Amino acid sequence: MSKDSLYNRKHWEDSEFPILCNTCLGPNPYIKMTKNKYGDECKVCNRPFTSYRWQPGRGARHKKTEVCQTCAKMKNVCQTCLLDLEYGLPVQVRDQALAVKEQFPTQGANRDFFIQNAERAMANTDGTTPYGELALIPNSGNNEILKKLAATRSREPYYARNAPHICSFFVKGECKRGDECPYRHEAPKAFDEKLSQQNIKDRYYGVNDPVAEKLTARAKAAPKLVTPADQTITTLYVGNIACGDELKVNEEDLRNHFYQYGEIRQIHIHKNQCAFIDFLTREGAELAAERSFGQTNINGQKLTIRWGRPQSQSTRFEGVEERRVYQQVPNLPGSLPLPHLNEAGGSSSAPYKRHAPPSADEPSSSKARVVIPHLDEPSSSSSSSIDAGKVYYPSQDPNRLGTRAPL
Amino acid sequence: MSLNVKLRRMRKKPPAGWDAIESTLEEFEQKMRDAETDSHEGKRKSEAVWPIFRINHQRSRYIYDLYYKKEEISKELYQFCIDGKFVDAQLIAKWKKQGYENLCCVRCVQARDTNFGTNCVCRVPRAKIDSDRVIECVHCGCRGCSG
Repeated sequence: MSKDSLYNRKHWEDSEFPILCNTCLGPNPYIKMTKNKYGDECKVCNRPFTSYRWQPGRGARHKKTEVCQTCAKMKNVCQTCLLDLEYGLPVQVRDQALAVKEQFPTQGANRDFFIQNAERAMANTDGTTPYGELALIPNSGNNEILKKLAATRSREPYYARNAPHICSFFVKGECKRGDECPYRHEAPKAFDEKLSQQNIKDRYYGVNDPVAEKLTARAKAAPKLVTPADQTITTLYVGNIACGDELKVNEEDLRNHFYQYGEIRQIHIHKNQCAFIDFLTREGAELAAERSFGQTNINGQKLTIRWGRPQSQSTRFEGVEERRVYQQVPNLPGSLPLPHLNEAGGSSSAPYKRHAPPSADEPSSSKARVVIPHLDEPSSSSSSSIDAGKVYYPSQDPNRLGTRAPL
Repeated sequence: MSLNVKLRRMRKKPPAGWDAIESTLEEFEQKMRDAETDSHEGKRKSEAVWPIFRINHQRSRYIYDLYYKKEEISKELYQFCIDGKFVDAQLIAKWKKQGYENLCCVRCVQARDTNFGTNCVCRVPRAKIDSDRVIECVHCGCRGCSG
């Protein structure tokens, strides 16, 4: 089914513009592109198609479309680089993340028949939807994992892809062209056995793609933030807000960034080194953690986001350094003994009554009437390890009550 | 082709100053023959033809300078050279135009030969081109023939 035989040439593919990703087109908006009607055969399906050739910006090598539009549409990939149009990721990675199980036939009459059907089916659509299982996945452009993977690669399009290839003569030391050599005179990248054995058909069908495998391995190994089981924690710890001693990110910056995830109850900046953001809702905190973990840069500082720990770290009061462990005060009575109503000392209200009138009396008479509470032996309710008779406060000393004042 | 062979083609006899220039033209003829019979080893396919264009330019330049710049040749002799195809008349015709005084070869201004109807890259003035590497045009190996 190639151009050498002129059979079926009425059905050869023609198109008006290639399906390309932004990286392949290059940074220059003014491109001169040549169109070669039926100029090449598709690298995947071997059918003739209209190929395009252009230079993606200055200093780049010329690129041309490698696969036909039908094949590109079926897998929703760029015609030159065979990466997904949505995410810029290899087909294998995207299919794994979207759980696409179907395998297109790769050889022989089976393949040709499949492609023929696909072409007919896609002729009825507007040409933007892929074919097969991929088309049926709802919201395939919004997958979280893929977005994260894509973000690491595509903050800025990777134009290094369009650079000329490395001059193989230079690598051997034999390049006679010297200055006017259009190929790159640089050391080649370190030899990676797996990565150097790539195959365009494997890359297209999403099978045995070393770049894809490397990406998925990296995605698995990436650090993840584990949400705490305790549902009441709504505090996020934010680190690396300062450079040395100087605070680069202040409370207002944090507020301006994190308000989008939920209402903030308060923000504390601790010791000019880290901050604690307290959200009003747990959902807000979770959203903030998920969205900003590992990818938040404010004022040039990459923020480390962690979940806050309850109470101990989040400061409710200023100036608290760390949680002090307080010793148990020994010998505290568990509870006061019930007043004995019929004692010789009189009723419980008696001491009060006696105090009131004798305020005018001499102080010695009131002193004689004070009821000395009986200190019990430490009851079972108090801690077992406390010594009996250990006095922590002066008021626990039965012999020492009141202030010592000169009599 | 030998100089004498060319001479035999011409019906007329060469005019007055011919002896002065004959030796130089003979040298050019020799160089051209060497370039034509050179082996292709070690050269790119396009690179193999570059010396031909270069010698052609040099030969035409010699006659052109003698007549138009130094005026050491009579009009008849100059016309004789053109008629006898000792120089590239079309190239000289271009040199008479402003801006094309140093044109390397006629191929490099032929817009019909290029994909986008432009001139060759060697026609870009030095000031405008900012490439860190040297450009040798694919037609004749020229490194910049204007500016």
